[in-house]
Amino acid sequence: MPSGLPKNGHPRQSAPDETVVTGVGLVTSIGTGKEIFWQNLLAGRCGIGPVEAFSTEHFPVHHGAEIKDFDANDYVNRLPAGKIGRASELAIAAAHLALADAHLSFTEADLEQAGVVVGTTSGEPGVIERFDDLYIEGRINQLSSDFIDNYPCNALAAHVASELGLGGEVLTIPTACAAGNYAIAHASDLLQMRRARIMLAGGADSFSRITYTGFARLGAISTDLCRPFDRNRKGMIPGEGAAMLVLERRADAVARGARIYAVIAGYGLSCDAYHMTSAHPQGAGAARAMEMALRSSETLPEEVDYISAHGTGTPTNDRLETIAIKRVFKDYAYRVPISSIKSMLGHAMGAASAIEAIACVLAITYGYIPATIHLETQDPECDLDFIANCSREHKVNIAMNNAYAFGGNNSSVIFRRYEA
Amino acid sequence: MEHRVAITGIGLISPLGDSSNALHHALCSGRTGIHPVGPQVVNGNQCHLAARLVDFQPEKYLAGRPLRPLDRSSQLASAACGLALESSGWNSESRAANDLAVMVGTMFAGMHNIGDFDRTAMASGPASVSPMAFANTVINAAAGQTAIWHNMRGVNSTVAAGSISGISAVGHATDLIRHRGAMAVLAGGVDEFSVESFCGFGRAGLLCTNHVSEELPIPFDQRRNGFALGEGAGFLALEEFTYAIERGARILAEVRGYATAFDHSQGRDPNLAVQTLVRTMHTALSRSKMSVDDIDFVSASANGSVARDSYELSALAAVFGERASALPVTAIKGGIGEALAASGPAQVAVAIETLRTGELPGVIGLQKLPPEWQRAGIAPDARTIKARSALINGLGLDGNCCSLVIAVAE
Repeated sequence: MPSGLPKNGHPRQSAPDETVVTGVGLVTSIGTGKEIFWQNLLAGRCGIGPVEAFSTEHFPVHHGAEIKDFDANDYVNRLPAGKIGRASELAIAAAHLALADAHLSFTEADLEQAGVVVGTTSGEPGVIERFDDLYIEGRINQLSSDFIDNYPCNALAAHVASELGLGGEVLTIPTACAAGNYAIAHASDLLQMRRARIMLAGGADSFSRITYTGFARLGAISTDLCRPFDRNRKGMIPGEGAAMLVLERRADAVARGARIYAVIAGYGLSCDAYHMTSAHPQGAGAARAMEMALRSSETLPEEVDYISAHGTGTPTNDRLETIAIKRVFKDYAYRVPISSIKSMLGHAMGAASAIEAIACVLAITYGYIPATIHLETQDPECDLDFIANCSREHKVNIAMNNAYAFGGNNSSVIFRRYEA
Repeated sequence: MEHRVAITGIGLISPLGDSSNALHHALCSGRTGIHPVGPQVVNGNQCHLAARLVDFQPEKYLAGRPLRPLDRSSQLASAACGLALESSGWNSESRAANDLAVMVGTMFAGMHNIGDFDRTAMASGPASVSPMAFANTVINAAAGQTAIWHNMRGVNSTVAAGSISGISAVGHATDLIRHRGAMAVLAGGVDEFSVESFCGFGRAGLLCTNHVSEELPIPFDQRRNGFALGEGAGFLALEEFTYAIERGARILAEVRGYATAFDHSQGRDPNLAVQTLVRTMHTALSRSKMSVDDIDFVSASANGSVARDSYELSALAAVFGERASALPVTAIKGGIGEALAASGPAQVAVAIETLRTGELPGVIGLQKLPPEWQRAGIAPDARTIKARSALINGLGLDGNCCSLVIAVAE
């Protein structure tokens, strides 16, 4: 550990430039908007059920975590709802909800200083699925003229910005299942470099037959529910969703009298450079990302009050993440509360870590930690405190959000309680 | 503390050669990589031209291990990154000792793979597709495969800002070094030609359709009616300036500044489109601590697009004022096509050759500028100019704009 770190329990001075979270918005399989989401998350409600978006009769698995009550027309105003892709629509809804939650209204001058970063795994798979249907039917000459506007994944951030009239930095970061964390880290950097005054950051992905087919072929999808860290866990459950956070510099947020949920204290990103779909067998890259996040936020391991695990529910991920947490947290690994909300939401892909970031921020705000549900028989190899089945009242000053991805990408973001 | 950023290596796979020198030479000689694509590919499209990599042989660049797990985009990216590493002198020992970061820009990634994966599953059932093929359907596959191939364990990011993704990646990498303490980043872009993108751009009416005369798409020319789709990969080795000096690296140029902004009308409002690019160029100059008079030439984003080429000319006129008419401007997409994320890094590579040699490529085939844009600085042939600094533009289809300033390192 480098010297000069703050002593355990010693309150930090808040720097006027640090990035703070002032609004959250999300659309998930257990509810839309902060209130319903948090209520259902603490109640342990499960968003997983039989897939409705397409037939799974030719698959050995049948469960998914879909959003069933979403009407794009409720949120998408300037752009043509129903013509743009579903991931864009979900992202736009989350962005509107986050801005409303932040009580932000833009002036023209603000708009040039406001941007958006959206993380995603698959971009708009529904748009290329329509292309493929036409191709198979030999009707490709009927391809819609807006395919190029809607398919490539840059459309996600561009559509949010176009809907909201933003003129600053607009970027999509497609770093698969860690993308939400990457987007939040990048947006925070832009604020730190004074490239923007206000950033929206988060992730979006839509339920898709391409993603479902791929994970099914990898043998990664559970035949029943999603049971992270359980001895009988059978895999992950593909899901969908969008989550956006409003980020500002502390001084700006204070000046406009904004409610400050939490501070983005630091982050760590690393690459295994080992295998496209399998994590490093000793969790080396994951541990490195956690260590970098602790170092960059000047946090001691024992100061972390909650870890939101990647916790997909696959046999390998949960075992390796446990190993990586033990590598970093040593004895304290057995005492720090950890949970995987994917047990309720399934794996919302690029949106997952953005949704989990909001769970971290709300845990700090409300003093409760959501549970890992369906954790009936804990795996002896996953022998940490995974907050089985019941949410827990617990003061959280510092929360760490882990997310890992194809390509060997590892990410950890640290959120800290805001001290005025 | 602001660190300076040195460019110490270039890796390029383009239809006009696999080095900045070869590409620059071809462009200065008036050669083009744009050719007819053949009836099989045209398949009802109004356009029949493209700038494809017809003879890319991955094994020439990537030896010793099986190439089968890498799709075409991953092969192109890994090959270009290998060339950039070689050119910068970052050997396997220094890569093992340091966490080298990679930032890949892409618009479509392996879209053909993704479509193919889905079509196979739809036609023959989900059990018929390979799990390995799925690994390549994620948009960051090229970044992941490249990191594995060259053992690069630092930040591994992919950025998507449409056709300006490559130059955007270079800009973000610059920021990581300048403000966030990164020592070395490999940054650039990759995009492959695919039936899906060719068909999509065709249906959107964005491709050149000069079928009668077989004339090429010519940036800025009065006869332009769209661009030719290209493909390729381009990566730059960027590193902290003092660090590069200390290890005795050859410094090709310095990145002075970068800016990006978004036109929320997405090109539909010409005034806002022009204003946004003007704002981008001004911001890039001010972050570079340079004035318009310090810029010796411009590498334009222009590719033959009817609307966007004229937006760029208007924006250059607004930014450069009285100097605009004589300002040397080149547009290399008349030679390499609109290579999307590979375009920006190729523009930087060619600009570095211009800084080195003083030779600025012409706009190939240019005959007549629109009457309102008569400019001495835009010419069909290569010429020798004073070249110490360059402004490089990217004007995206989705509303994203970016400008990058590079200069000879002092």
